[in-house]
Parts: sequence; C-alpha cells; structure tokens
Amino acid sequence: MRNENLKILGMTCAACAKAAERAVGKLDGVEKVSVNYATEKMNVDFDAEKVSIEQIKAAVSKAGYEAEEEKETKEVSMPVSGMTCAACAKAIEKAVGKLQGVESVAVNFATEKVSVKYNPKDVRLSEIKQTIIKAGYTPLEIENKNRVDEDKERKEKEIKTLWIKFVISAIFTVPLVYIAMGPMVPWLGWKLPAWLEPMQFPLLYGLVELALTIPVIIAGYRFYTVGFKAIIRRSPNMDSLIAMGTAAAVIYSIYSIYRISIYDFMYVDDLYFETAGVIITLILLGKYLEAVSKGRTSEAIKKLMGLAPKTAIVIQDDKEIEIPIEEVEVGDIILVKPGEKIPVDGEVIEGHTTIDESMLTGESIPVDKKVGDKVIGASINKHGSIKFRATKVGSDTALAQIIKLVEDAQGSKAPIAQMADIVSGYFVPIVFVIATLSAAIWYFTGQDAVFALTIFIAVLVIACPCALGLATPTAIMVGTGKGAEYGVLIKGGEALETTHKVQTIVFDKTGTITEGRPEVTDIVHTDVIDRNRLLQIAASAEKGSEHPLGEAIVRGAEKENLEMLKLDRFLAIPGHGIEVEIEGQIILLGNRKLMVERNIELAQLEEESDRLASEGKTPMYMAIDSQLAGIIAVADIVKESSAKAIRKLHEMGIEVAMITGDNKKTAQAIAKQVGIDRVLAEVLPGDKANEVKKLQEEGKKVAMVGDGINDAPALAQADIGIAIGSGTDVAMESADIVLMRSDLMDVPTAIQLSKSTLRNIKQNLFWAFAYNVAGIPLAAGLLYAFGGPKLNPVFAAAAMSLSSVSVLTNALRLKNFKPYK
Amino acid sequence: MKRKKRLLLAAILGATLLFTACQSTDVVGKVAVTSFEEMLNAASDNVSFDEEKGTWTLESPAGDEFKWSKDFSATEADSIIEFDAAPYISAGLDVTKLPENYSYDPSTGRLSLNFALGDEKFSYSGEAKPLDSFKKIVEAKRSLIGYHEALDHYGIALGDGNMFEWAKDMTKNDKDIVFVLNPQPFIDAGVNPEQVEGWVFAKVEMMENGKKFEVDKLLKPFDLK
Repeated sequence: MRNENLKILGMTCAACAKAAERAVGKLDGVEKVSVNYATEKMNVDFDAEKVSIEQIKAAVSKAGYEAEEEKETKEVSMPVSGMTCAACAKAIEKAVGKLQGVESVAVNFATEKVSVKYNPKDVRLSEIKQTIIKAGYTPLEIENKNRVDEDKERKEKEIKTLWIKFVISAIFTVPLVYIAMGPMVPWLGWKLPAWLEPMQFPLLYGLVELALTIPVIIAGYRFYTVGFKAIIRRSPNMDSLIAMGTAAAVIYSIYSIYRISIYDFMYVDDLYFETAGVIITLILLGKYLEAVSKGRTSEAIKKLMGLAPKTAIVIQDDKEIEIPIEEVEVGDIILVKPGEKIPVDGEVIEGHTTIDESMLTGESIPVDKKVGDKVIGASINKHGSIKFRATKVGSDTALAQIIKLVEDAQGSKAPIAQMADIVSGYFVPIVFVIATLSAAIWYFTGQDAVFALTIFIAVLVIACPCALGLATPTAIMVGTGKGAEYGVLIKGGEALETTHKVQTIVFDKTGTITEGRPEVTDIVHTDVIDRNRLLQIAASAEKGSEHPLGEAIVRGAEKENLEMLKLDRFLAIPGHGIEVEIEGQIILLGNRKLMVERNIELAQLEEESDRLASEGKTPMYMAIDSQLAGIIAVADIVKESSAKAIRKLHEMGIEVAMITGDNKKTAQAIAKQVGIDRVLAEVLPGDKANEVKKLQEEGKKVAMVGDGINDAPALAQADIGIAIGSGTDVAMESADIVLMRSDLMDVPTAIQLSKSTLRNIKQNLFWAFAYNVAGIPLAAGLLYAFGGPKLNPVFAAAAMSLSSVSVLTNALRLKNFKPYK
Repeated sequence: MKRKKRLLLAAILGATLLFTACQSTDVVGKVAVTSFEEMLNAASDNVSFDEEKGTWTLESPAGDEFKWSKDFSATEADSIIEFDAAPYISAGLDVTKLPENYSYDPSTGRLSLNFALGDEKFSYSGEAKPLDSFKKIVEAKRSLIGYHEALDHYGIALGDGNMFEWAKDMTKNDKDIVFVLNPQPFIDAGVNPEQVEGWVFAKVEMMENGKKFEVDKLLKPFDLK
C-alpha cells in the first residue's frame, strides 16, 4: 500500500473537496482518500499495482480540479563555468540527467546556467555538483527556489488576483446599484440623469445596467466555469449555487430587456442585474478575505520556515567559507559566532556558549552548551563562538521534522470534521432541491414568476457550504500552529480532538515527573568517620561506575570539590554493590542485602534508613573494615514543574496516575510529594502498556506521558500518547503529542489547547449551521408567508460571505491562546 | 481559448455600449408616437385645428379638449387642457384664485390650463397633420414624454403635475385617454376635489427619477372605442 500527498488546485468549497474525494475513492485500488479543503491537500492510500498516481491525478482532473504531486522537489539554478559550446551544455545535461532523483535538467549555454529539479531524498546537491565537476566543468554559487517559496508565491498571487477582481467588480457594481436601487431610497436623494429615466428610456436604462454587469461577470467568470462544469458532472459545489443564482438573475434581466425592446415597458421593473452584480462582488470580497485569513492560519508554518538561516560558515582547510545552508553536509565543521543562528543540527566540538532555543522549545531561558552538547538548527547563539560538527542536515534536522509534523497535523482531519464533510457533500444538491421547490410552491400558490425567481436566487445564494467546510480545518490549523509556538507539537486533528476528552493521565516517573538524574540528598555517618570523608571514600569507590546511583555519588563529591582517592582493589557484586580497597581499608558500599550478607551490624542506622526510604530515597550503606560507617541517600529529584502541573490537572478534573518500576514505598513517597492520585508501582517496563489498557478497560480515556524507549508501547496503547521532547526518538514516534521541553506544565497546556480548539470548532460549526438553518427558510420566504419580509438576494449574498468570514475570524481568535503559567 | 473568451466578452461589451449609444434604444419615444397615432385614428372625428390658437385639438366624448401646438415658436400656449368649469365651480372654485396660466372664460363657462413648452420652430415638408406636430414635440421635447406603468399609458407632462395620457394599446385598455390634473391649484382656489362631478380624485402611482411614489390627481378617463 502506498501513501501519497497531492496538492489539489481549483477547489472553492467543502463540496469540491468531497467531489474530489468521491472521484478518487471510486478508483479500483484506492484504499482511503481524504481531502482537506483548508490546506488544499489530498492524502491517498492506494495499491500501486492496481492504480497509478497518474490515474488518480486524472480522476481529480475529471472532477474539475487539478492535482499536483507533493514531492519534496527542489529546483536549483546553478551557474557553471567552463562551457565553451552547446555540446558542453548537452554533456552536462546528460551527466546530471543520469543521476537518480534528478527529475529534469536544462542547461542554458547562453546564460551559463544549469537548472536542476531534483528530489533531495534521492540525490544530494553535492552529488550533482560532483557530477558536473567530473564532466569537466565548474559549478558556482547556486540560486535556489524551493516548493515553499513557490507555494507562497502562488498564494500571494491568488490573494492579489482576488483583490483585483473584487475591485473591478466593485467599480462597476457601485454605479449599477446607484442606478438600480439608489432612487428607491428617497432619503438618499440620489437622482438619475434624464436620459436614464426608466419610464422614459427603459431600454437604455436596461442596457446600461447590462453593460455595467458584464465586467462584473467577467471578474467572477470562475464561478460560472467551475460551477456549471460541476453541475454537468453532477457534483454541484458552492460555485454552482453562485453561478445558478446569478445566471438566473442575469438571464431573466436580459429577457426583460428583450421585452422592453418589444415595447413591454413594464419589464423595466424586472431587471435584476444589480442582484447578480452585488452577489458576485460580495462573494469575491468574501473569497478575498477568506484567502487572506487562510494564509494567516498557516502563519505558524511560515514562522517556523523563516527560522532557518540561509547560509552557514563551514571550516574547510582552516578557512571559513560561507555556503548556502543546502550545501551543508553531515560531518561539516561549522563556525557560529555570537548572535548568529545555528544553521543545522550538530554537536559542539569547540567552545562554550549559551543558546536561545525558545523558538523551538518555547523555553525562554538560554541553555548552556559546551563540548559534546547537542545544538539545534535555527536556535540562536547568544554569547560565545562555537564550532560544531553537523549531524543532521536538510529534511533530517529537528526544525525540518517539526515543520513536517506540524504540516501533517494541519493537513489531517479531526473526527468532528467528518460530520461537516458528510453534510457538505449532500448540502448543495439539497439546496438546489429546496430552491426549486420553494420557487415552485410560491409560483403555484399565486405569486408571479419574478417573486418565485427572487426566492430561487436567494435560497441558492444564502446556502453556501463554505463556512461548514472551513469550520474544522481552520481551527485545527491555528490550534496546531499555536501549539508549535509553545513547544507543544500535536501530530494530528484526531489527537487534538481526543486530548480534551482525557480523564486520566498516567505519568512515567523517571525522566518525566523526576529529572531522571539521581543526586545525593542525604549523608548520615557514624562516629567512625566524618561526613566529607564518607563521601570522598564512596565517590572514590564509585569512580568509573556506570550505575546511575554510583554516578550520582561521584557528582555529589565533585560538587563539593573532594579529591578522589586511589583504589587499590575493586570488586563489583552484581545486584548488591561494590567492594574496594582504599589506603589499606576494605570498603563495602551497597544495599542492605550486601551488609546483611557480610554480617555488618545495621541497628544503629536502621531507623534513618527506613526514614530515607519512606521519603522515596535510595539508601546506600557503607562499611569500613566491617564496621558500619554511614548511609548515603540518593534520589531522583522531582522536576520543579511537576507538582504545579499535577495541581493544574486536578483543577481540570483529571485523575493523575504514576507508573514506575520502583518499589511501592519509593513510588508512594514521590507520589505524595507531587500529589499523584494513583500509583502503579513495581511495573516491569513491558507491562506499562498493560497497565494503561487496564485503566482504559475502566472506561476511561487515558493519556500516557513518558520519555523512554520502554514507554513507547504504553504511549501507543494510550488514547493519547505524550512524549517529552528530551526523550528518545522512539517515544516521540509513538506519541500523538510531543512536548519540546521537559516542563510538565506543557501537559495541561496541551489539554487546554485541545479544549480551546474544540470549543472553537464547535462555535464555528454552530455559526456555519446557524447561518444555513436560519438563512434557508428565510430565503425561501417563510417569514413572508406569515406576513413578514422577503429576503432580498443581495442580503443573502452578504450573509453568505459573512458566514465564511465570521468562521475564519473566529478560528483566528485562537491565535490569542495563552498557556497556563 | 482564454484569449478567445476574453475577446468575445469584450466584443459583447463593446456591442452593448455601441447599442446603448444608438438612438434606436428610444423605444418609448417611438411607441409613444405610434400609439398616439392609433388614438388619433380612433378619435379622428374629434380632431381639429384651432386656427386662432394655432393648435390641434382632440375633443373627448364629453367635450374636454387637449390641444397641442403646430409650431412652438408661433404659439403662446404650446399645449392646452380645456374643459367645462361648472363641476369645479360647484365644488367651490373661486376662479380669481387660480394661477396665471389658468384662465376662465365666463362666456363659454370653460376653463383653460395653458402650458408654455418651448420656442422651437417646427418646419414641415408638405401639409402638417396632427400627428406630424406631435412627432415634432417628441423630437424637440423628448423628456416630456413618458410611460406610465400603472395604467400602461404614455403621457405628455405639461408642467405642474398636469398631464395628458393615452393608452399604449387601446385594445387592452378601457381608459384610452385620460386628462390628469394636479388638484393642488384647485384646492388652493377653494375646490373640494372629491366633489368635482365627472372627475375622479384619486391617488396615482407615478415614477420619476427611477423612484415610484403616489400622488393625488384629478382624473377624467375616456374610452374612445
């Protein structure tokens, strides 16, 4: 089964998305297809042996839209020196064209430029350059243009075109409305020139209106080309409604002109050009505002994309060379000076600095970086100069991964969107039926044809499924984008929707609630030794240990600047501790079991040991020459934010559980410290998923928060898996939400964001449905039937445009989202 | 293909503008003349020329007259509406209080409403006929001719809200001609408009400057058939 993303062009409403889905879904071999109207993307799962991507594109095209493959294609225009004739150009074309991943290559001998379209996944730019060099020519500095820029240009062009169309339309519609309706509003005092007096020059009056309407129709011609084609294909969309409504008004008005020309002057009252003009103008305005707002919903992606610097300074042969970021290779040594951005991901090999990673993690405090530390591309080097080795470049960098994750999330559909999609799919045909029926009922119950016509137009025009189609995806786009800003990466619409339903959150203990880095917390000693000597001997004994507890003791001694003593003998006793000889003394360091086995009398410190254990600390006994010397307690420190985050979750009515392999006593102690409701202790790593499943069997929606590889199955089992960003790639891969920081306050933030987004979606859906539920009966003349007013099609058009704009404006309100502090 | 479409639309727009600029769009002016001719034919026995005033006269079955000038440059009153004053006097008319262009002849007992419409010289090739003079008026004073949608009539606006109207299609109309008077000068001269015998005091829907409105009028319609 193959999965592809296609860019769908030419959609104007949710019904278009549904039509494209239907067209592709019918193909044999297509397993699953989903079109997101807001992002204009189609995601399709298909059996490549039964159906080709070309057939899928053809099906989309047949449905009236255009499909483009979402390839990560890069286009490079590279000056090349050394060409002396057209044959040289041919030689380069041939050599580069042979490379796998090169889609097209064109060499212009006159401009001495090679234009290459290639897939960076299959071929590196350096390989292309190398091939050119091998062919005997010299590639120079490149100019590149990528998909993102093209997409941006296309959207900007679309916005500009819509604006121009709207302006043209408005320029002609204003005088049209003045002529047609101005004099009807006495208090305006508008007058017509004598030669336009409808009762004296009705034909001229009608023709002038027609002349003013034609440019408006030209400005809105797309509604007709797309709308009527859709009707012919039996999949009418929003454009079909506009096209039918306005065409009915224009055709009837032209008929009226004809009647005037044969001296039926009464038809001067039956000119409805201004209705068509105003409808087209308002809808063009609505479409323009929609395009602008849609652009704003994806600002988060644009912001992320704008973070990456364009160039990097690479050290080659001890020289600093500035090269485009696309040319940076894994292994390159990169120099970053203070104030500059880190170009790609890597590992510091020289220097010390602080780096602002807030744009990626949301963490406002700059992070210290020294040799061996990892740096992330797009973060800002604050103080010192550093050199680092590039470890990830191009689409492998953390930034590129985040962008992909956010893009995928924005393109995904939430379950709540399915309802809107289903409604949108049936909406337009139903509206046609309602419009026709309403007009027919009015006509056959005694109203004239003109009355029936206005009803028909008003119903068609007011009932636009636009708002329905935009309600969910725009909120998800803004919601996921906003999450990314705060370092909360939500992987899809479904995750965003489910998160707000979570009733129980299970936290992994180590590395999630705690720092995952044990430290010495207590030192208790007997009369045989003093505190510092005890720590010094213990640290010397553990020096070189890879056990986390041993490392903690060594770190503790280092913090106090204690000098390490020389070991004369070392013996590791697995599961118990160690035995060493220092300065002629035999030192035992380990757990109670070790002491008991060696017959060390523990009574003196038994009480202290119990107390420490009850506080969740791990007591390590030390004996010198068979005499108890003291206890060093080591504990994993609870993160500063843990208790606050758990308190916040309680306020949100969420039960909080902790899962750990630790013994019950230790686990209970940590749980008490941070306010955990339920402790799942002594759970083997492989059983974590089972524990989550048990909670789910209680009928609860469960979220799991973890960071380790061993958490991955539990993250996958949970309704929502939340991975801490400092954790492993496997954990992040299995999770639905990734927190870029290790701050647990981001968990309530994710839930709060989910709730806000869902509330926003519901508001959007409410407004979208309310417009149509209230608007259609009104347009159909329900109020008029009971002595009330009839809805003018012009106001129907205004209401329709307003519905889309109001839904988009409401979605954009999510931009004001602020996380808990 | 796109270019062709644009050219086609531009051609339609151009043609429309050209068409609008063309005189042939004056369908009201054109049909006003033909329908006036039909009306004159229907009342041919009651159409005459008033040598003294230099006007053509159309007399209604009740003796009310609509007069129109043969040559604006030669007439003082280019159009006249003349009728029996008795019903007005009975309804309270004080003839001394009428406006200047309203004249009462005690000898005949008739009231004349005289309207100056212009000074244009009308020239004819051959002997002038009543319709020819009307055509000259339409040519010279086209803005005075209008269509009255509510009654499916054409009308000539004589000034001060007074009109003479005739049916666009006499076969479909029972009011072939209508004398339409502004009641206000009469009211100001003491007339109770509802008591003028033979005349109907009613609200009439009119349209001016693209705006529909209702006004009080004194009407006297006739079926000439």
